[in-house]
Amino acid sequence: MIKLQRDIFLDEINSQLEKDKDIYVMSADFGAASLDITRDKYKDNFIHCGISEQAMFDIGTGLALEGKKVIAYAMGPFISLRAIEQIKCGPAMMNLPMTILSVGIGLGYADAGPTHYATEDYACLRAIGGTSIFTASDNKIAKQIAQNILNNKSVNYVRLDRHPTEELKEYENNYDFSDGFRIFGSHSKDKIAIISHGRILKNCIKSLKEMKDNVFIIDLFRSKPISNKFCETLKNVKTVLVVDEQTQYGNLTSAVQSELSKNNIFPKVKNLSLPDEYIFKNGGRDFLLNLHKLDEDSILNSCKELL
Amino acid sequence: MKKHNNLPELCKNYRKQLFEKFLEVGQGHPGSVFSMIELVVTLFHNSHIRFDKNTNKFIDKIIISKGHATVALYPILKEFGVIDIKEWDNWGNKNNETILRVFGNTSIPGIDATSGSLGHGLGIGCGLAYLYKKQKIDKKVYVVISEGELYEGSTWEALLFAAHNKLENLNIIIDENSLIILGTTDDCLRLDPIKKKIEGFGFNVDHIDGHNLEQIEKALNNKIKGVKVILAKTVKGKGFSIMENKANWHYWNPIDEKEIEICRKDIE
Repeated sequence: MIKLQRDIFLDEINSQLEKDKDIYVMSADFGAASLDITRDKYKDNFIHCGISEQAMFDIGTGLALEGKKVIAYAMGPFISLRAIEQIKCGPAMMNLPMTILSVGIGLGYADAGPTHYATEDYACLRAIGGTSIFTASDNKIAKQIAQNILNNKSVNYVRLDRHPTEELKEYENNYDFSDGFRIFGSHSKDKIAIISHGRILKNCIKSLKEMKDNVFIIDLFRSKPISNKFCETLKNVKTVLVVDEQTQYGNLTSAVQSELSKNNIFPKVKNLSLPDEYIFKNGGRDFLLNLHKLDEDSILNSCKELL
Repeated sequence: MKKHNNLPELCKNYRKQLFEKFLEVGQGHPGSVFSMIELVVTLFHNSHIRFDKNTNKFIDKIIISKGHATVALYPILKEFGVIDIKEWDNWGNKNNETILRVFGNTSIPGIDATSGSLGHGLGIGCGLAYLYKKQKIDKKVYVVISEGELYEGSTWEALLFAAHNKLENLNIIIDENSLIILGTTDDCLRLDPIKKKIEGFGFNVDHIDGHNLEQIEKALNNKIKGVKVILAKTVKGKGFSIMENKANWHYWNPIDEKEIEICRKDIE
């Protein structure tokens, strides 16, 4: 059975807890098999804050003011929007390192409905000054984020999927984690660059397989800050397709365009994302992605149209 | 430094300094600042918040969660030599730079947490107190909240946390001046009975006159088990007849020469 991203991430944190007792893991009553290990084996470094996301960030700010490495953990829609002002006025404004571990991004909780969707979390956290944002497309990236995150002295917003994710390693080229992205397929300025992150990225793989002479993919697992190397990679690329399981405004397309324009790079950019509305229809996550043209065939068709 | 024998005189002196500074700066929250002068003077000058001369830093922590009143600490921090006198003198003088501002932040020496948005300070204080308790560090945490912060859900979340974790090193002081921007708390949205509600957490609550230095000192010295809460009944704008119990003096108002004279006489 494929392990969940949250367990991969927390397993790594648990192994760091073995030697680093300055790490504190806080939960607003959100669980994981690996969190049970934290609670049992490292109970002095685990804090249950109640179903109180706001207090969790304030309490975490107190810990971080004394130099502790704080990981705040809860379900995506609640840890992001419920407590966003606490994130702003606490760790962000006081320049304190804190890692916000957000699980269930996009339409992960499809059967629950829009109260449980995290389809605007990216835009909201991106707007908070000084945040770094990481989104795991598979377990390998989830593990690498966990391995590196506590060295990052900013407010880190880590976005993990709720569901098991397929490993994408077979498509990747060599990459340096510090650059914040990896490339699938062969890079060329004459090809369409598909940029994505998170679980939705797997829906772009069919386009790579069927149009490998015309398409390459960038997994932008660190989408804030975006590295110079990313911009260099897109220099002279004429067409970009950004695929994001977020609503239209402020999503990954906005981040990519903003960074490229800052560097005077102006490709044609198409945005594939969710509509600016709350989705009440149901049929499961893939049904909803299909409905909103974010399934693998729709993405392939978009690529063909862009050629 | 800085145990004073004459705290009433010191309170008057700080009120004078602050009033003149409000005149210079032309903005701020005098009503909320003047309501808590006796509280913070007792905390600092009776060594409840201990000062380490060697590091020129305070050992214990204070969080002014009602961030709009942080200004009350500036003359005290200046007196201890934690804030440079130049910073104070420059504040309000448009040609000079200063680190001071209406709302406190951690770039100002002696300010332990950035505040301004209500309802954050108690949670931050809980985080600090939790850590000191777990690690057996001899530090106390004082959090001054306004009663208006009892409207914020996060304050109650933090109270739950403090109770559950039995944070004996946490001292909560509620500045109960009974006024918020649009009027009295009773008229706007009733908070009472505050004491009963807080006691519901199992906390000991001392309901005192927040301008009576003896009562404040006694409450701070009260040896009790668990979280200490002082519900301090205060007067918004205390010490200035034109401001006392006036909701509109939450903010600084334009003031004419006659009113300035009245205020200066009030604190002679």
